[in-house]
Amino acid sequence: MNHPPGPPQPIAPQKPASLAVYKRELRKAVARSRVEPEITFLNITAMMDMMTIILVFLLKSLSTSTASLPQSQDLQLPKSILTTEPDSEPEGLAVLVSKSQIIVGETVVCPVPADAAQYGIEAKYKRGSRNDYFIVPLGSALQSWRDTDKRIRMATGRDPNQSEAILIADVSTPYRLLTEIMFTLGQAEFSKFHMMVLQGGGKTGTK
Amino acid sequence: MPDTEKLSAAQRSRVRRMSRPRELSPDEEGGELNIVPFLDIITNVLMFVLATITVTFTTMIDSTPPRNSGSSVRPPGKPTLSLNIIVIDKGFIVSAFGQRIGEGCNGPGSGVAIGMKIQDGVQDYDFSALNACAKRLKNQVPEAADETNATVTANANIPYQSIISTVDAIRKADDGQVLFPDITFGVPK
Repeated sequence: MNHPPGPPQPIAPQKPASLAVYKRELRKAVARSRVEPEITFLNITAMMDMMTIILVFLLKSLSTSTASLPQSQDLQLPKSILTTEPDSEPEGLAVLVSKSQIIVGETVVCPVPADAAQYGIEAKYKRGSRNDYFIVPLGSALQSWRDTDKRIRMATGRDPNQSEAILIADVSTPYRLLTEIMFTLGQAEFSKFHMMVLQGGGKTGTK
Repeated sequence: MPDTEKLSAAQRSRVRRMSRPRELSPDEEGGELNIVPFLDIITNVLMFVLATITVTFTTMIDSTPPRNSGSSVRPPGKPTLSLNIIVIDKGFIVSAFGQRIGEGCNGPGSGVAIGMKIQDGVQDYDFSALNACAKRLKNQVPEAADETNATVTANANIPYQSIISTVDAIRKADDGQVLFPDITFGVPK
């Protein structure tokens, strides 16, 4: 027997649960919906520190080893068995002797002739005949630098009676030309030479 | 009984609202700059630079100009080695104790003390023999043990590399004994 539908019964207001139950349910819900923290980016600070140190070390070592020296067909440094760094950073005037010319600082002083192995630099650049060892334009350039260096040494309290030179010469430079350059350096009061060589080479004479 | 207690609709709604994961505001979640692409570029550039750069490690050989023979004062009677090496096309002429060393570096004599060697069909200077010769001469007289000076001279056409290799050969023995690291260059007559 069907009862006729009556008016909807009003829902009785539910009695709220106790505070303890509410808090327990809240804790459970929070625990359920907790999202594990997701790694959205890599912490690369430590790696950046490391790379910066390596980069600085590389730049420092390259600068001290004068890696910027251009190696070309015209200038190839001789190899030496020496593998140690010089005691202190050598200072002095750079005298560069390539296959084709002699350069002091950044100034070309004279060309190197093809027959330098026999007579050295051409006679017109010498003080007397071609057998002379003094190279006039090289001596003038050295003397100019020497005068400046002497004043600097006096002002800084170092020995003003001598200057130093760094000799950067090509492997094939003949000994005759080397003696002319060293003689001219000695005449210009350069009392110490640093000959630049490549580290770790073998004993080959390039005969 | 408290276990059978049910939350009311209002309480359930509040639980849902409060347990929802909190979303970060845009200014909170952008806490660190994303530099990974930048790092990629830097790493590539670094690798490229390291692969293409020609690293040349150089060092220096120090020398002083020749001095007059009378400038250095030595005690009378003390034997001096005064090693003198002349590099020529055929090898090394060696002088020591004021006399020329003969062929094979076995004692006084004439000729070229150390000749050329032929290795793999190529003629080259025998730097190993020169090294052994310098060591033998240095150890011959005990008074000369502290002598580290030597003079190197060469023919006009001898290349710089041969000079440097000669200087290297008399610098130190194979067993580490210091021979003649202080080199003075001479002028050929």
